[in-house]
Amino acid sequence: MRYGMVIDLKRCIGCYGCQAVCKVENATPPGVFWARVMKREFGKYPNVRRVNLPLLCMHCREPECVKACPSGATVQREDGIVYVDETKCVGCRYCLMACPYGSRFFHAKERYYFEGYGATPFEEWGYRRHPTGVVSKCDFCRHRVDQGLEPACVANCMTKARHFGDLDDPQSEVSRLIRDRGGSQLYPELGTDPSVYYLP
Amino acid sequence: MRDANDVWIPSVCSQCYSCCGILAHRVDGKVVKIEGNPESGNCQGRLCAKGVSGIMTLYDPSRVNVPLKRSNPEKGIDVDPGWVEISWEEALQTVAERLSKIRSEDPRKLLVMASVMTMDQMYFARLFGSAFGTPNSVWNSGAGNHCGNAEHLFGALLHSAWSKQPDTDYCSYLLNFGVPCGFGAYYAATGMAQRIADARARGMRHVVIDPFLSPTAEKADEWVPIRPGTDGALALAMLHVLLHELGAYDREYLKHHTNGPYLIGEDGCYVRERDSGKPLIWDAVDGVAKPFDAADIKDFALDGRYEMDGAAARPAFAALKEHVASFTPEWASPITTVPVATIRRITAEFAEAARIGSTIVIDGKELPYRPVAVLYFRGAQGHKNATLSSMAIELLVEMMGASNVPGGVLGQNSRCLGHPKTGRPSWSPVAGPDGLLVVGGNWSGALPYPWAQPKKPESMSLGGLAPTVIVSPASLPLVTLDPEKFKIPYKLEMNLHVGTNYLMTESDPKVSVAAFKDLFQVSSSLFLDEATYLSDLVLPDTCYLERHSLTAESVSSNSPLEEWCYHVRQPVVEPLFQRRNFSEVMLDIADRVGMREDFNAFLNLLLDLKAPYALDVSRKYTLQEILDRRFKSMFGEEHGLEWFQEHGVLKWPKRVEEVYWKPFVEVRVPIYFEWFLKVGEGVKKVAQEGGFDDVIETSAFQALPEWRPCASHQEKRSEYDLYAIYYRVPVHSFSATYNNPWLDEISQIDPYVYRVAINIETARRKGIKDGDWMDITSAGTDHTIKARARLTEGIHPEVIAMANCGGHWSKFLPIASKSDKGACFEWLLPLTFDNMDIPTFNLDLCAKVKVSKAEG
Repeated sequence: MRYGMVIDLKRCIGCYGCQAVCKVENATPPGVFWARVMKREFGKYPNVRRVNLPLLCMHCREPECVKACPSGATVQREDGIVYVDETKCVGCRYCLMACPYGSRFFHAKERYYFEGYGATPFEEWGYRRHPTGVVSKCDFCRHRVDQGLEPACVANCMTKARHFGDLDDPQSEVSRLIRDRGGSQLYPELGTDPSVYYLP
Repeated sequence: MRDANDVWIPSVCSQCYSCCGILAHRVDGKVVKIEGNPESGNCQGRLCAKGVSGIMTLYDPSRVNVPLKRSNPEKGIDVDPGWVEISWEEALQTVAERLSKIRSEDPRKLLVMASVMTMDQMYFARLFGSAFGTPNSVWNSGAGNHCGNAEHLFGALLHSAWSKQPDTDYCSYLLNFGVPCGFGAYYAATGMAQRIADARARGMRHVVIDPFLSPTAEKADEWVPIRPGTDGALALAMLHVLLHELGAYDREYLKHHTNGPYLIGEDGCYVRERDSGKPLIWDAVDGVAKPFDAADIKDFALDGRYEMDGAAARPAFAALKEHVASFTPEWASPITTVPVATIRRITAEFAEAARIGSTIVIDGKELPYRPVAVLYFRGAQGHKNATLSSMAIELLVEMMGASNVPGGVLGQNSRCLGHPKTGRPSWSPVAGPDGLLVVGGNWSGALPYPWAQPKKPESMSLGGLAPTVIVSPASLPLVTLDPEKFKIPYKLEMNLHVGTNYLMTESDPKVSVAAFKDLFQVSSSLFLDEATYLSDLVLPDTCYLERHSLTAESVSSNSPLEEWCYHVRQPVVEPLFQRRNFSEVMLDIADRVGMREDFNAFLNLLLDLKAPYALDVSRKYTLQEILDRRFKSMFGEEHGLEWFQEHGVLKWPKRVEEVYWKPFVEVRVPIYFEWFLKVGEGVKKVAQEGGFDDVIETSAFQALPEWRPCASHQEKRSEYDLYAIYYRVPVHSFSATYNNPWLDEISQIDPYVYRVAINIETARRKGIKDGDWMDITSAGTDHTIKARARLTEGIHPEVIAMANCGGHWSKFLPIASKSDKGACFEWLLPLTFDNMDIPTFNLDLCAKVKVSKAEG
């Protein structure tokens, strides 16, 4: 059993729905993006293409962050989900440097979205999950996955560009898509073996 | 048992006009998550970034929380009104006194403004205005940047619908003139995103014609850059290729479902049977003219010239064909900058994909199969040439017979046969005068057909002058400034202003200030936005998460496919602070003004409340009671408000006869707009009699399409060398979402949302680097706006493009009004009749500008 995600770049329209719904689901503080979208342009006018690349933690099979963590705060579960146990994190940020995908964020100090107004009721409720002085990152919405739900970015994607499932099961939708559509990983040469695949 | 401290509440989003069904999670009184309601056909359980971010609109500390009145009598575009808190009682008393006085003197002096951002309040405000007795209700300021004006006109005339969509189940070739349908904006934004993605994955070819490599164009199979304002010329050239080079058109469709066979005389009008007055057609077999609906017609002639009582006549189709003979690709290419070979190639692809003559069996019914669709909206039609360009684009669909049949263009819910139990609501296009389509009951604009004779205008938008004006005419501020010129015998005194930021969504803000600053403006608003700088009173409205709504079920937000969906909007939390739902406030005001009976009568009429659910006109009802009656009247006693509050959505499957209605309804549509000629003559006469024919120029009332240049195409000063355009992004709605910090954060990260896109080579010539501040000066208004450059290869070299309506300046919107938050396009748009399409009073968005690197 190894959870993985497949993102279909043909379907993705770069609408930032994933980035926004992650913000709501996980109540991440300002400047912290467990899910984000990057845009790049290729070609010369009028033959131009723009590519949207949704990013999140790659939940690598061989995670550099786990190796770099001196306190055992970064944990890889049996099912492949890599998460941060913030009670053990000492805030050394070695993992930020170790992660080749820029998927980790350090929560330095308590900040709110409306500067000068304090916390909104939503932030009062949500930021209890985000102590300061620790590192945070996407955990594949393990609170949802453990209830049998898909991660929020998968469930909400309005072009159905995201799929979630068991990479170890050759019959699963994600395995089939990777096989049939030629799914690829980011920076495969690094040997991290990400659990996030992109379809062309 | 539900735990009241941890509940999911079904309701309806209002972060744009799409009305997606939502589930809001409330824990200990706080809204902690908004998800798409999987039961809602509008969104199918998935929301856009705006939709999930509504929590920050609810809790925004910049929201208006108490009634306010201005203490500074001086009004201006950035003059602090000096807000002072007052009680609701004082506010309502002031409003009621003003309204009572106006109503007793002349109710026309009241203007009601609203916004499609709050469809429910807009609808209620329109009812209020109608019951009050003013013809100046309701005006949406979005006519400037946003409205489909002429597109809606042809939606009504050809599709019996407010707007339209491709048949995503079967379409195989979508020719898209810059519409973000399926890309996070436009109608049914989230549902169409899924469907268009499915269609693209299925292999539908998507060709996007757009000056900018927009979020839509970047996902297209082919991007065809075009000079702004010339889409009509491209469509005309495509018509030329279809009719003269390829001979590709659906003869059977044209014969039986259009006025293509109607004989046109030398005066451009129908040749009519003397006694019945019916338009005649030529029976090609019998070789005689017959009324178009004669039972014994053996074959309708589409071509040829015929002698009729000594005068020549030809079928409307033949007239069209001759008319487009000169519009060759060689003619269109220098206008549009689209290469001749590209025009011929995409036309040939389009024609081939249409599979004219083929059929498909759906639900046991054999139907025409025309898997090609054409979309256009603000980009292609937002010009001086709106009516004639829209006509040209529409005719591409009609020539293929791809209108409201499988695979083609579908009106958004043109036909409804009702809930299976009650048969309600129900509407259908029907045949009107001359056998032509009259739009069904799902219609909220002025009725364009049967056409009304142009008459002396009574309203500030010149309502009644031309039946081709459908919605939110850009004429209103100009007439408000000078009603005497148009022989309007009164002046506006009060503006009941409901949630529209007209200073940022109409046109040149200075004109708007001049037009509206002397009115007593009462605003019901979420924010102290730019438009409230001119308010005398501001009432704190509830946002959609704090209120019940009468009409959260706008059918434009339903996909034409799959199922009918009626939702309820209900409070997820009680209104915070002193906010009040303006629909409820209007009920209170109606009572205070003594117009309860009129209001209730209008509610009965327009909500179609049938016994026993019709309102007793003399009784006072709460909004919830009215809502309950509306639902029961439509869907039966068991489906009252309580049922909806629990279930959120009532739905039932759409039928083939509804979705693909064309083969099932005996009705023709025009491909030759004969009566436009008569409308033009009538408008000219009224304008001459009224002495305002100097501004109302009627040459665009034509039966067949042409292409005419916009003012920007004729700009002679060489330094004004670029066209500025605006486009929509999926993370904002108009100007309304810029203070939402989650959306702001995304906008800062995105390369384009807050920047103005300019071609790399063009920028190099002007010495502009990526990220540089630019001065952008409009040839039409002479205003200069500042914005930062984003250099890209993905834009026509003659064009700069800006997203939505950024560049706020209200000091009460601290996030939106910071520097570097986009540009306000309106400053570039001159508001003059010269700059409008007269048949629709649609404002031209083709702003010619000069651009230079800003100093310092």
